[in-house]
Amino acid sequence: MSSAEHAPAGPDKRPIRLFRNLWSKIAAIPMILVSVGIFVGGTIWTIVYSFTDSGLLPRLNWVGLEQYERLWSTRRWLVSIENLAVFGIASLILTFALGFLLAALLDRKIRFEDTFRTILLYPFALSFIVTGLVWQWILNPEFGVQSIVRGLGFESFTFDPLYDSSKVMIGLLIAGLWQGTGLIMVILLAGLRGIDEDIWKASRVDGIPAWKTYVVIIIPMLKPVFITALVLVTSGIVKLYDLVVAMTSGGPGISSEVPAKFVYDTLFTRQNLGQGFAASTMMLVTVAIILIPWALLQFRGKKND
Amino acid sequence: MARAVTTKRKTLTTALAWAIGLLIFFPILWTILTSFKTEAQAIANPPIFLNFDWTLENYAIVQERSDYMRFLWNSVILAGGSTLLGIIIAVPAAWSMAFVPSKRTKDILLWMLSTKMLPAVGVLYPIYLLFIELGLLDSRAGLVIVLMLINLPIIVWMLYTYFREIPGEILEAARMDGATLKEELLYILTPMAIPGIASTVLLNFILAWNEAFWTLNLTAVDAAPLTAFIASYSSPEGLFFAKLSAASTMAIAPILILGWFSQKQLVRGLTFGAVK
Repeated sequence: MSSAEHAPAGPDKRPIRLFRNLWSKIAAIPMILVSVGIFVGGTIWTIVYSFTDSGLLPRLNWVGLEQYERLWSTRRWLVSIENLAVFGIASLILTFALGFLLAALLDRKIRFEDTFRTILLYPFALSFIVTGLVWQWILNPEFGVQSIVRGLGFESFTFDPLYDSSKVMIGLLIAGLWQGTGLIMVILLAGLRGIDEDIWKASRVDGIPAWKTYVVIIIPMLKPVFITALVLVTSGIVKLYDLVVAMTSGGPGISSEVPAKFVYDTLFTRQNLGQGFAASTMMLVTVAIILIPWALLQFRGKKND
Repeated sequence: MARAVTTKRKTLTTALAWAIGLLIFFPILWTILTSFKTEAQAIANPPIFLNFDWTLENYAIVQERSDYMRFLWNSVILAGGSTLLGIIIAVPAAWSMAFVPSKRTKDILLWMLSTKMLPAVGVLYPIYLLFIELGLLDSRAGLVIVLMLINLPIIVWMLYTYFREIPGEILEAARMDGATLKEELLYILTPMAIPGIASTVLLNFILAWNEAFWTLNLTAVDAAPLTAFIASYSSPEGLFFAKLSAASTMAIAPILILGWFSQKQLVRGLTFGAVK
């Protein structure tokens, strides 16, 4: 994205420009105020109360880092963090690998392309709740894939991830991939379409193998597209909550708990506010650790333009 | 990669593409088909594909047990209301960012988008308290505001990218001809911005429609939308797959139909403007 100084800047327009600037600022203010008020205000409030011993109601009795110490010795929290990390890394890698592979495979005009893209995007247009329910059923050992394959004569076939605490995250991952891969593929496909035909011709003339052209030339060219896709996938991963609630409710046992669900249950079901605030503060910190270097990188890139 | 497309190759790619499309679509298709089966046929093994006795019984039962229309109406109000409100607030902001950018514009945009990456649980409780305080719990008005707020960064960002594609020279030319600010907005900017706004509206509508974290946690009965409707069928009805499918189909049908008739906007919107 190159710089976008569209505004007219003739010297004779000076007063008008000032006026326009004023109006534009007034136009932007409500939105900025609202964002600041809710997100920053709410977040600070949560952080402040994470240092108190609030139970059923928020109270300002300072206990220092006690909530955090307790949080990190809670097994359920540790499981949640681990699950989110595993799910996050696996779904990032797999969504991009599958999405890119399919996009490269289909990098040609396809008949009825609009319809094709719509179908690929349908899963993404569905609520996680519906996705969760549908996949809960498909993965049900008595009625879903397992029973159908067994019905075909493979009596010993076993695939019941949702009922096996060591495999339950795989079940969630499958549903997550189903929902997200189509989106990534459509985005990357659009990126590939935008690449100049001549680049392919040149690399063929030079005898560079196709895979190498992808790795060395095409993928670097698609960087902006990849960043868009990355932002979308990552923000989906952080939000992971609905899918778990609909598919497993955190089970079997606590084997598919995730941080967002931990926070929610701690706040509202176990009515341990301080603990819940500490957990959500930890989530905030984690996201910040990932986000800040990325933001800095972005800023520096922009300044160099 | 041979870009010189032969007909044979094209047919092959198309076939492959459609095979993938079908595979991805299959769970949705299967859900819709199952909703017309009886419970016994729904769990038959080997599964019955098309030759079952089509019945509407499941829909009647689901409708009888929970008032589908009320949930649907709530969903329409929540998604529509939050989208409308969001657009009203975002259009002036995005317009000013795109046409009168200041040094801070990029920073503000990035910063706003980063709030979208923050986990919602971080602000859940403060908002919950605020809702109790203001008597907004389980009210449509409260949820419209919350849904608008959480999607606002995306709306502004998308509108900004669309508005930026409008060449500034056109505005200058209009100004040369003596167009007033009002005329500029009404006759030049608006018509050029409509495709972008349409995609943004559709995306935001779908996001708000599907939002479950906030709607499940801040509603009980009165303001509960379709996400709550479908969630209520999840655990106790675990084994009644035909009814579950009917409920799912009823919940997703509006989006599938809306998407089908606005494919261009859907693709543009859902890919956040990455696909033109």
